[in-house]
Amino acid sequence: MIADTTVPQDRRRTARRAHVWLTALLVLISIASLAIGASGTSLWGALQKLVSGQPLSQTEQVVLWDIRMPRMILGICVGASLAVSGAVMQGLFRNPLADPGIVGVSAGASLGAITAIVLSGLLPLAAMAWLGFWLVPLAAFLGGWGSTILLYRVSTRRGRTSVATMLLAGIALGALAGALSGILVYMADDAQLRDLTFWGLGSLAGATWAKVLVAGPVIVLSILVAASLGHGLNGLAFGEATASHMGIPVQRIKNAAILAVAAATGAAVAVSGGIGFIGIVVPHLLRLSTGPDHQPLLLNAALLGASLLLIADVISRVIIAPAELPIGIVTAVLGAPVFLWILLRRRGLVDL
Amino acid sequence: MTLTTRNIHARIGKKEILHGIDFTARAGEITAIVGPNGSGKSTLLKAITDEVDFTGEVILNGRNTAKMKPWELAAMRGVLPQSTTLAFPFTVIEVVRMGLMAGASGERADIPSRALAAVGLDGYSGRFYQELSGGEQQRAQLARVLCQVWHPVVDGAPRWLLLDEPVASLDIGHQLLVMRLMKDYASRGGGVVAVMHDLNLSAMFADQMAIIMSGTLLTSGPPDTVIQNDILSKAYGCSLTVNTAPEEGQSFLLPHLAMHN
Repeated sequence: MIADTTVPQDRRRTARRAHVWLTALLVLISIASLAIGASGTSLWGALQKLVSGQPLSQTEQVVLWDIRMPRMILGICVGASLAVSGAVMQGLFRNPLADPGIVGVSAGASLGAITAIVLSGLLPLAAMAWLGFWLVPLAAFLGGWGSTILLYRVSTRRGRTSVATMLLAGIALGALAGALSGILVYMADDAQLRDLTFWGLGSLAGATWAKVLVAGPVIVLSILVAASLGHGLNGLAFGEATASHMGIPVQRIKNAAILAVAAATGAAVAVSGGIGFIGIVVPHLLRLSTGPDHQPLLLNAALLGASLLLIADVISRVIIAPAELPIGIVTAVLGAPVFLWILLRRRGLVDL
Repeated sequence: MTLTTRNIHARIGKKEILHGIDFTARAGEITAIVGPNGSGKSTLLKAITDEVDFTGEVILNGRNTAKMKPWELAAMRGVLPQSTTLAFPFTVIEVVRMGLMAGASGERADIPSRALAAVGLDGYSGRFYQELSGGEQQRAQLARVLCQVWHPVVDGAPRWLLLDEPVASLDIGHQLLVMRLMKDYASRGGGVVAVMHDLNLSAMFADQMAIIMSGTLLTSGPPDTVIQNDILSKAYGCSLTVNTAPEEGQSFLLPHLAMHN
């Protein structure tokens, strides 16, 4: 059966049509994300009041504007950056299972966050007062960024990055970051351990306008850079030598891809913790439905990644309301079976 | 217009593979690079296309390739590797179209399907590249390379096909198809440089042959002058009989049955 698989229609058109459908999906889910929540505040009621010129109640203002709105925007940013980072890494490593987690960005970010949680007591009070709750996200971001730069230095010789070295070095650095994190966990007290566990599970619950304003621009900028890499990543699918023969400035594409992924993932992990599977499942689903051409794929990945993360977030806050499930659990429970299903169903196509 | 190398020393790891090669190919001709396994013939092509570390110069149409941007080179020559594996499930037409975007062949939308027809892959457009046989994959890649430099001459300057064993994985019918395609490209003014295994096909189609032995250029010239028993037995370490085909008059080789003579 598989030997006779053909794609009769032009997949470029399907992929372009998907831009429209996925944008519509994202708009719908964004509205749902504003409307659904534990407090019972009605988006429609508030809109009616706005239209008829009545003032909003204090609760409505806090719930809709200060809680749900930044959470929705942060969810869009984080989902888009995880999915786009995944797609870019997979293109760079020529492996559909590559993920920012593999090149050590996540491990580095985790180490940063854990360091901040456990050792923050050692900081002078003035520094603590200045950084406040920003300390953990900032440390996570720096950790992710630093580990990517280190990895890049290790695997680049005379201006050429060896992807094989980078993958192996990523595993080694990840293990090292894990060991350092282990030492810190060993030193942590009970309250800190609880913080560590929940940060690791991932959540959008801490979303504020301040976080949106700091992480948002970094994420948007790095997604824009990543989205411009489509043609180059298509070429890299043929191998670096052939990509270069096709006229692609390979080294420049690799530099841009690595920096964009480090920034996007670092910022996303910093504000939301460890949210898995979006970076692997979203590009996979899109490749199977609209083809592997990176030019439409990167934009579609941003749209679908944002939508899926918002859906997971809505589920996470209503499923055991008024309590809230960490979103990383939801994405893993939903994502892992989908991932397995893709692998089993299309084994012939997904050449691992 | 020529493709010329000057004093190429190339190394892979610490081992020097090529020891100073001066090689010239002319546009309008097929130049076959032949030689035994491990002689460095593929490495020579890889030096020309800047895939291995080397010293020396590669001059393409009068310009030093080291000073050219990737897209300038891509507009001037297409390169076919021995084999290409793809990381993602692209279809055949998507692979071929990639060549159109790479080179400066213009935006003619029908070039990819014409290139597919030229390599004998009509009707393969929607097939997945990863599911093709080795020979079909090689022809699909050749179609992509053809798209990149579709017109053999642009603004008076020849373009080049640099092919690493373009027919090694093909059956005899498709070998002839691809060799004729190369001949046609050269006859329309383009340059073709091909690393070849098959001496008989090289003798039939090439205008020039260059024999590489142990990292040096043993000899080069038209097939008649190169297909000589003493030259070939020195290069390949075995005795061969050079014959002339009764009908078409071309040289061909027969290996001897006996192990040593």
